[in-house]
Amino acid sequence: MQGIGSAGTANGSGNIPPTMTGTLGLVDAAQGLLAAGELEEGATGAGVLLLADGGRYEGELFGAVGVGAGELVFTTGMTGFQESLTDPSFAGQVLTFTYPLIGNYGAQLGCSESSGVWPRGVVVRHAMEVPDHRDSVGNLDSLLRLHGVCGIQAVDTRAITRRVREFGTLLCVFGPLADEESLRARLEKMLPPDLEDLVAQVSIDEPVILNQGATDHEGRALPRLGVLDCGIKYNILRELSRRFEVVWSPPDIGYGRLKKEFVIQALFCSNGPGDPAHPGKATQARLALAAAVADGMPTMGICLGHQLLGLASGLQTYKMRYGHRGANQPVLDLAKNTVLITSQNHGFAVADPKHGMLAQHPSGLCSEVQENLLGAEVKVSFINSNDQTVEGLEVVGKPAFSIQFHPEACPGPHDASPLFDRFAQMVSTHLRGES
Amino acid sequence: MPRRTDIQRVMILGSGPIKIGQGAEFDFSGSQACRALREDGFEVILVNSNPATIQNDPEMADRVYIEPLLPDVVRGILELEKPDALLAGMGGQTALNIASELAHDGTLERLGVELIGSDLEAIDKAENRGLFKKVCESIGLPVPLAIACDSIAEVLAAAEELGNWPLLVRPAFTLGGLGGGTVWNTGELVEISTLGLRNSRINQVLIEESIIGWQEHEYEVMRDSNDNCIIVCTMENIDPMGVHTGESIVVAPQQSLSDRDHQHLRDCSLALIRELNISGGCNVQFAVNQSTGEIRVIEVNPRVSRSSALASKATGYPIARMAAKIAVGYTLDELPNPITGHGTTAAFEPTLDYCVVKIPRWPFDKFRTADRTLGTSMKSTGEVMAIGRCFEEAFLKAWASLEVGHPHPRPLTRADESEGEGMSERAHKPLAERTMVEWLEVATDRRMTALIEAFRRGWSVEQVHEVTRMTRWFLHRFANIAATEAEVVDCDAASPMLIDEDDLWRWKGLGMSDAYICDALAGFPVTGYNALSSEVGETAVMRRRHLFGIHPRYRMVDSCAAEFAAATPYYYSTYEGGQESGIDFIPELQERKKERVVVLGSGPIRIGQGIEFDYCCVHAVMAIRESGRDAIIINNNPETVSTDFDTSDRLYFEPISLECVTEVLLREQAHGILLQFGGQTALNLAIPLEERIPTLGEHGLQTRIFGTSPDAIDQASDRQRFAEFARLAGLRIPNGLTGKTSDDVRAAAAKIGFPILIRPSYVLGGRGMEILTNEQQLSAYLAEAYIAPNKPLLVDEYLGHATELDVDAVSDGEQVLVGAIMEHLEEAGIHSGDSTCFIPPQNIGEEMLTRVRKQTETIGLGLKIVGCFNIQFALQGERLYVLEVNPRSSRTVPFVAKSSGVPLARIAARLTLGEKLRDLNIPEPNNTLVCVKVPVFPFIKLRGLDPAPGPEMKSTGEVMGSDITAEVAYLKARMATEIPVNTTGGVYLTVRDEDKQGLIPVALQLSDLGMKIYATPGTAHALRDGGVQCEIAYRIAEGKSPDALGLMRRGEIQFIVNVPTISGGAIRDGNMMRRLAVEMNIPFVTTMNGARMEVAAIRAAGQGPTTPQRLQVSYLDGRGI
Repeated sequence: MQGIGSAGTANGSGNIPPTMTGTLGLVDAAQGLLAAGELEEGATGAGVLLLADGGRYEGELFGAVGVGAGELVFTTGMTGFQESLTDPSFAGQVLTFTYPLIGNYGAQLGCSESSGVWPRGVVVRHAMEVPDHRDSVGNLDSLLRLHGVCGIQAVDTRAITRRVREFGTLLCVFGPLADEESLRARLEKMLPPDLEDLVAQVSIDEPVILNQGATDHEGRALPRLGVLDCGIKYNILRELSRRFEVVWSPPDIGYGRLKKEFVIQALFCSNGPGDPAHPGKATQARLALAAAVADGMPTMGICLGHQLLGLASGLQTYKMRYGHRGANQPVLDLAKNTVLITSQNHGFAVADPKHGMLAQHPSGLCSEVQENLLGAEVKVSFINSNDQTVEGLEVVGKPAFSIQFHPEACPGPHDASPLFDRFAQMVSTHLRGES
Repeated sequence: MPRRTDIQRVMILGSGPIKIGQGAEFDFSGSQACRALREDGFEVILVNSNPATIQNDPEMADRVYIEPLLPDVVRGILELEKPDALLAGMGGQTALNIASELAHDGTLERLGVELIGSDLEAIDKAENRGLFKKVCESIGLPVPLAIACDSIAEVLAAAEELGNWPLLVRPAFTLGGLGGGTVWNTGELVEISTLGLRNSRINQVLIEESIIGWQEHEYEVMRDSNDNCIIVCTMENIDPMGVHTGESIVVAPQQSLSDRDHQHLRDCSLALIRELNISGGCNVQFAVNQSTGEIRVIEVNPRVSRSSALASKATGYPIARMAAKIAVGYTLDELPNPITGHGTTAAFEPTLDYCVVKIPRWPFDKFRTADRTLGTSMKSTGEVMAIGRCFEEAFLKAWASLEVGHPHPRPLTRADESEGEGMSERAHKPLAERTMVEWLEVATDRRMTALIEAFRRGWSVEQVHEVTRMTRWFLHRFANIAATEAEVVDCDAASPMLIDEDDLWRWKGLGMSDAYICDALAGFPVTGYNALSSEVGETAVMRRRHLFGIHPRYRMVDSCAAEFAAATPYYYSTYEGGQESGIDFIPELQERKKERVVVLGSGPIRIGQGIEFDYCCVHAVMAIRESGRDAIIINNNPETVSTDFDTSDRLYFEPISLECVTEVLLREQAHGILLQFGGQTALNLAIPLEERIPTLGEHGLQTRIFGTSPDAIDQASDRQRFAEFARLAGLRIPNGLTGKTSDDVRAAAAKIGFPILIRPSYVLGGRGMEILTNEQQLSAYLAEAYIAPNKPLLVDEYLGHATELDVDAVSDGEQVLVGAIMEHLEEAGIHSGDSTCFIPPQNIGEEMLTRVRKQTETIGLGLKIVGCFNIQFALQGERLYVLEVNPRSSRTVPFVAKSSGVPLARIAARLTLGEKLRDLNIPEPNNTLVCVKVPVFPFIKLRGLDPAPGPEMKSTGEVMGSDITAEVAYLKARMATEIPVNTTGGVYLTVRDEDKQGLIPVALQLSDLGMKIYATPGTAHALRDGGVQCEIAYRIAEGKSPDALGLMRRGEIQFIVNVPTISGGAIRDGNMMRRLAVEMNIPFVTTMNGARMEVAAIRAAGQGPTTPQRLQVSYLDGRGI
């Protein structure tokens, strides 16, 4: 009997190999809610949200006691609050939900995209106290308290959204109204989180083989895939595990080690937070990615992984005015001339080789021009049909491509999920060609 | 793919008359389609029989036919016009059925007409249950489980297999599911299945799982020929499965599904639209079991629908426009998104940052005898929509928009059970708990009042869920409303002037109106909040609010949650505690040179206030914009053209209440407001608004009511003032008196003498209006009527055998222009909205017409009317009576405009803005054709309602026919009502004694036409004396055979003339027969004039097919005005 509880994407549910129906053993951010009685007291009372441009919004505090501080962004998705909160790409940011009623169906096991809650603050119009869903194990407030994240509600989220839209993402801080002076002082001293090595904060430290010995439905061993974790979402791991034996690796593991020690047959680079041009672990991941492509290994990148491929190809990356965050971004597939509705979460983008930088942030933040490390040219394969920004790249003559959007969805529509099949196909064609 | 170049001329089919289940939403979608195609250079030919729509205005399409929507007629027009393509998906089921028939019989192929926009195979697959099930199964989508059984043993085994009670028993191959039903235990299962097996032609029953109580979700999907698919909107019904989605309170976006749940349903919706190969819009309905997560696909509508109109208004995404563009070749990514602009395209899924609530508008306030139970068929006539930043706000605003009962929740009393004598006493007693539980259990229009009441009485969410099966999330919201209401009731503030600022912000943020707050603060006095003194009433709350600077914020419906700078001027209000003002501001409002004029819409479509008023509002808006001013609409009806995003300069989706109108006037700094186009709803605000204008002056706003002054409105509406005016002006009016108590009324009746015409004052559509012939009937009436000092009853002399005339006119205060004089077919006493009427009058001499024009002028100038007015006259012999003057546009204005070519509403709007008739270039009235308007009734949908026209209006819509002769014009209109005009078979005649002589010529003509005559013994006797051959059909009560019902069931009767004695009370003789006639679609008339006209139509029908008449009027002649 088919139900909406069953996992899987539109076309993926039939393809799950029997050996892979079990859990991958991923630690869910909502698990701690099963013992919610032990949670610490949450924040209450009047709060204030201060924006770097002078904006000020009074509201009510919830979630953990403390101060929320980071780069203020908004997401327009109407569902999927838990998936967003646990998406490591939000590290360093304060996340505003434009939909006013958040947490209607509660936090649920199996809906987390990592083991943590990553925004450094959450801004909502209404944090719904009493969720209603058969799978709910707690409300938004308790999920934030569990992970020590502060929230503020009863603020005018549409006004905030308009501000961000008009002035670009900007720094913000919020906390108790009584502490306004100290909050303001803190805001003045605050540095952009982009300067931190955010990737290092959200990625794993040691490689793990996720599904050793996995086979397809005919019992053949699946190809082995190296996955560079820059802050990977669980559903990417789930999607990849259905098609590959996955070596879940730190971003700085290096291509040489992956190839020699783990004998990978293909490489994947994940999504993640921050500036792709950051000299820290993002750069390490970029070098590994470039080496793999240059080596002729089948390679795929998503989101940050896509931006890293762009940088490696000699294109520039830049900070966008306010980015794309939501579940309704239309993307034009230039090969097929069709539109996919995609899930997105990014604040940086690859500069279009033809059109240059579109929708740029007022700060003008942009990477230096660097040489092409791929040994091949790239061409744009997808663009955003709203603002024409680059949404996908293909390496000409090599089995490598990248996309800015999230085919794993979670949250968001499944229109792009066939791209995982395309990658698997690319790998198997490549392997057949080799043997 | 860009626009197709191989087609040039496109025919669009409308949906015909407004009826329950097929309403104004198709005027909205058809109008959008016309505009979308014409802007691309297509020539549009429009066919629709409904004169009240905007879509068949002469300037909406290149060629307009107001002709019956029947396959034969459309075939004739296709032959005449030879279009390249036919677009049927905009006209509901009516249009699809015609297209389907014309395709299957080869007409389209023969004429080389391509059906665009809807694929016939797709339609068949979506609408045939069996095929649809196969389609779903082929792509792995679950439909309700059913097992076919040939014996009781198999039935029992099937029940075991399906597991859960209740179960549905459906006998295979019986008419209308005869012998089936819902069963709750093995006993019922065996009993009903045994019956079902016997009734079934193939001795088979289907045992089906029941999904009653599951959640109902809807997805609005768009797809183009390049397989791009998007979801425009998701919607969740508050009423669980078992109540038709059109009858449910609906919320958008859905609230209780997680992203995982939602994406799964999204995948299913896309898989379905692809498998069915639908291009354009479609609607998919799902049932979801909230406790297990199981889903079932319920149905797909392969076209734009009521739901898609709601989705368009809820998101701002113009579904019908895009569907029309897709039909002529465009793909979604090629079409600019007119809302967000700036390079965004239609290949985009709207995202909302607000909550939308739709509540249906039911006619039970008018039809007190009708069965209120809501189920799988529709009973509502219209709906309202409201938008807020939380559910509670949207819900309370929608409630306030309904204009039925109280404008906000109130503790339920025994007076809510029934109106009538003793109501004031019963208002002191709380509603019995047992009654409240019943209202919760059985879905009716009263359920929403009982939901709040249950929480008011301390019920828990679980308890209410147990009884209603409603999703707990919504119940928590209702509980929150009740809790906040209690907070207001218990608050320390003794008067509104002591309310705390924070409290006020919070209450307003939850959607409580000023009226709700003052009412709760006063402890819900039995006399109502309107009777509160100015120190503690609604205005006091407003003053307190304004003192703190608490005004609503106006938010844009931009389809993108503010992600892009949208261009749409479409707003809703919300009370958010944010300090930031100027959000979603109107650019350079203060610097604007243009004057701003507000037009009040007419709210939900209901009996007595239909789409005609929306037509008038749209025309007023056009006139305002043509005059170089900004036109601003306030309305809350999602089905209409007036609430389309590009009809006005700015649209406010708001309740049409004093509070909301006041705030919009303030925000807009409006120069003035027009009340006369939105029907009685808008007019009722005249005096309260006039009283507020000085207060607005305190805010620096100089505004005024344009057009007829509130005092003149009152003079026309208040019977005593009007009687005085009539006396001075030398006009004759029927004797009439007003009664404020039952005794008053009895005395008045005695003074005037029976028969009397009785009705409440200040009502629309003759609600509660009846003709009473004796004391007994009067007592029965008083037992049910609501009478109070502020709601008196009017008692009038009943004018027998009088011809009724309707006049629509405009005046500038100096000169009067008569749009048209209409002659009613029925005698005075049948509500004018329910009568058949003719332009020009057919039986009135020129001298009398001159008198009518003269009196119209006297009234217009005497009452100082500026703008529209409507007068009803009665002509008894040579005596001309003025029955009623309505100082506003009327429901016949669009009919007049389309018959005569004089755009009255538009002219009226120009006059209200200060222009003079002599300066306008008025088009010459067209008088080459006879035009007839015929009403359409909802009898088939509403059980318990006597299917006979009377003084209380019952029709939901109307159709128009026009031709060279009155007979053919009438025949066309009759055919357009979708009740057949039968030219052969039997006729059943039964009339009052006084009409028996008059019946003889009618019967002779029917006999000549070859029809067999049946009559009741009395009537038969008179007919035989008059030389008519006829057979006896006994009255039902006589218990003899053959009786009328038996003859009808046997198919012997094809037409009925049934003129009952003057009515009184709800139960009338012949009710049963008329009810059966309705169910069997047998035409019947209840007046002698109706009988004569029907005979003329039968004769005309026998003379072969009619010739389609193209609408020949054009308002363009008047462009220079």
